Amino acid sequence: MKGEISLSCRNLERYLGEEEERVHALRGVSLDVEAGSLHAVVGPSGCGKSTLLYILGLLDKPDAGSVEIGATPISHLSDEELARRRNELIGFIFQFHFLMEDFTAQENVMIPMRRLGHMTEGDMRERAAALLEAVDLGDKLRRPSRHLSGGEQQRVAIARALANDPQLILADEPTGNLDTNNSQRAFDLLANIVRQREKALLLVTHNRFIADACDWIHEMKDGRVILSHPHGERISV
Amino acid sequence: MTAPLYIALRFATHRKRALLLSLVGVVFGVGIFICTQAQTQGFMQFFIDSTIGSNGALVVRSRFQPRYQGMIVAAKSGTAASTRRNLFEGITNVSEIMRVSRQFSNVVACSPVLRGSISARAGFESTTAEVFGIDPASHLRTTDLGKEIVDGTFDDFRNNTSSLIVGYRLAQFLQAGVGDTIQLLSPGGEYWRFNVAAIARSGVGTIDSSRIYVHARVAQRLLKKPFEASMIIYKLRNRDRAPELATHFETLFQQIAESWQEREEGNLQIFATLRISAAITVSLIILLAGFGIFNVLTMSVLSKIREIAILRSMGYRRIDISAIFLWQGALIAMVGSVLGCALGALLTLGISKVPIHIRGLLYTNHFLVVWDWRHYFWATVLAVIAVFIASYVPAKRAAQLQPVDTLRGSSL
Repeated sequence: MKGEISLSCRNLERYLGEEEERVHALRGVSLDVEAGSLHAVVGPSGCGKSTLLYILGLLDKPDAGSVEIGATPISHLSDEELARRRNELIGFIFQFHFLMEDFTAQENVMIPMRRLGHMTEGDMRERAAALLEAVDLGDKLRRPSRHLSGGEQQRVAIARALANDPQLILADEPTGNLDTNNSQRAFDLLANIVRQREKALLLVTHNRFIADACDWIHEMKDGRVILSHPHGERISV
Repeated sequence: MTAPLYIALRFATHRKRALLLSLVGVVFGVGIFICTQAQTQGFMQFFIDSTIGSNGALVVRSRFQPRYQGMIVAAKSGTAASTRRNLFEGITNVSEIMRVSRQFSNVVACSPVLRGSISARAGFESTTAEVFGIDPASHLRTTDLGKEIVDGTFDDFRNNTSSLIVGYRLAQFLQAGVGDTIQLLSPGGEYWRFNVAAIARSGVGTIDSSRIYVHARVAQRLLKKPFEASMIIYKLRNRDRAPELATHFETLFQQIAESWQEREEGNLQIFATLRISAAITVSLIILLAGFGIFNVLTMSVLSKIREIAILRSMGYRRIDISAIFLWQGALIAMVGSVLGCALGALLTLGISKVPIHIRGLLYTNHFLVVWDWRHYFWATVLAVIAVFIASYVPAKRAAQLQPVDTLRGSSL
């Protein structure tokens, strides 16, 4: 790993559920994600990939272990401060894109910017239009998101994740709901943006081809990272 | 525009029908509240204006004996004796009391009245009447008698000492009109004949059915009273301060002084009870609207769980999420109050035109209403409080939703 560390976690432990149904979802997971790199987390369903993603995305708190974003530990931060960091530093992309159905493509992209509150209405519209232009949706700015195809919706979600120019992009099976062509297109788009703009990308995927196209692959099983290796290599941890 | 307000506006259009129903509840609640308050206060205001217009805002009556502190300490049980006062009917120093009274800034005018009960007869009808011996000039300045004349003229009364003004309902009972003769039976047993110069209608049933105005000097002879006035009535600039002035006058003149609030306490309590009762009844409509809003917003929260999770993942704080739903409530309250106030004004205007035949405590041919900004203010305050309470619980619930639970789905 050569670049500046964007995200790191050490010895993450997480239990889900109550009493008899309690599941040990994460068992001592450690990761480093540097700027300008693409990391894929792979593994069977239920191995803890999404749980890891939500903890790294500051949406959930670990039962043990630490998370640092840009060398800043975040475990002691308040709920409000975590929300602010999420808004400023992290962009999320979900499998089912999770757009606001009644909002237009442009309005969806403007949602994180509105919370940040650094731009005027005009500037926000302009930036949202530029981001949608970058994902080839410049002609569908004012179309309600429910009237867009699956591939287009996922591209709106990518544009939205980049709205506040975050350091880190977290994607939970971003191509899981798309056909092969749209999957490849969405991933290529994401990979280009991440590399060009020196972002860090951590994505959870079941798609082997997508994982192989990343710089690092982290294989998980039963709440543990059993293998972490760069593209083309297999290094055990 | 803040982010929560923008999103609230967009969410508000999502459940249009339910939202519209909630809005209608608030609009009707506010509108009917205003209308009922305008009516109940309208009747009360009419009664107060009429009774003050005829009897004055303040009355100074019988003299009482000053209570001096004795040298001997009274027994502890003798409390009853200490509260009793010796009263002497009539006012002997009328000019002096009126001269001093006029020095008070709140006093606009005052007028002496010699009062007594007497038997009145016209044709074959006779009844007991209440004679008011008045000085026409000062009485006209102090009361609304001039405006209350519905037949004949006040000048005819002023220029003829053997004439009288009779109450509207009393004239009807005696079947006497302007120009007719009414005989009044003096305590000496002889009938005095008077011409009816005018008929007055105050609007208050008890006054209109018993009162007869005659000249003060004639009244003194007719009633055989040793004093020139049995009371002095006052017109005040600020009638709400009548009780304070009454207390002051009692101390100053050693005469019983009674404010209109004290005099009409019984009737005012009835009106106040009616107003409170109407306010409580109508508040229930607003409360029901509040329940409607609670349901709508709760359903809205349930249908927006996914959106709430998305917003949280994009950095929206819990306070932003609750603000979205509180804003929706605030929008309902604001729009509902504005439309409700407009509806209230229209209803009030409409109801004031409705014909009604009241000939009891009051005399009126149409609904009486009062246009008072406070009705609109309190209706709005009530609506805002009800909507805030109704919005608070769903908003808090929305803020407490864990985004991970929604986003996680079935995967671990």
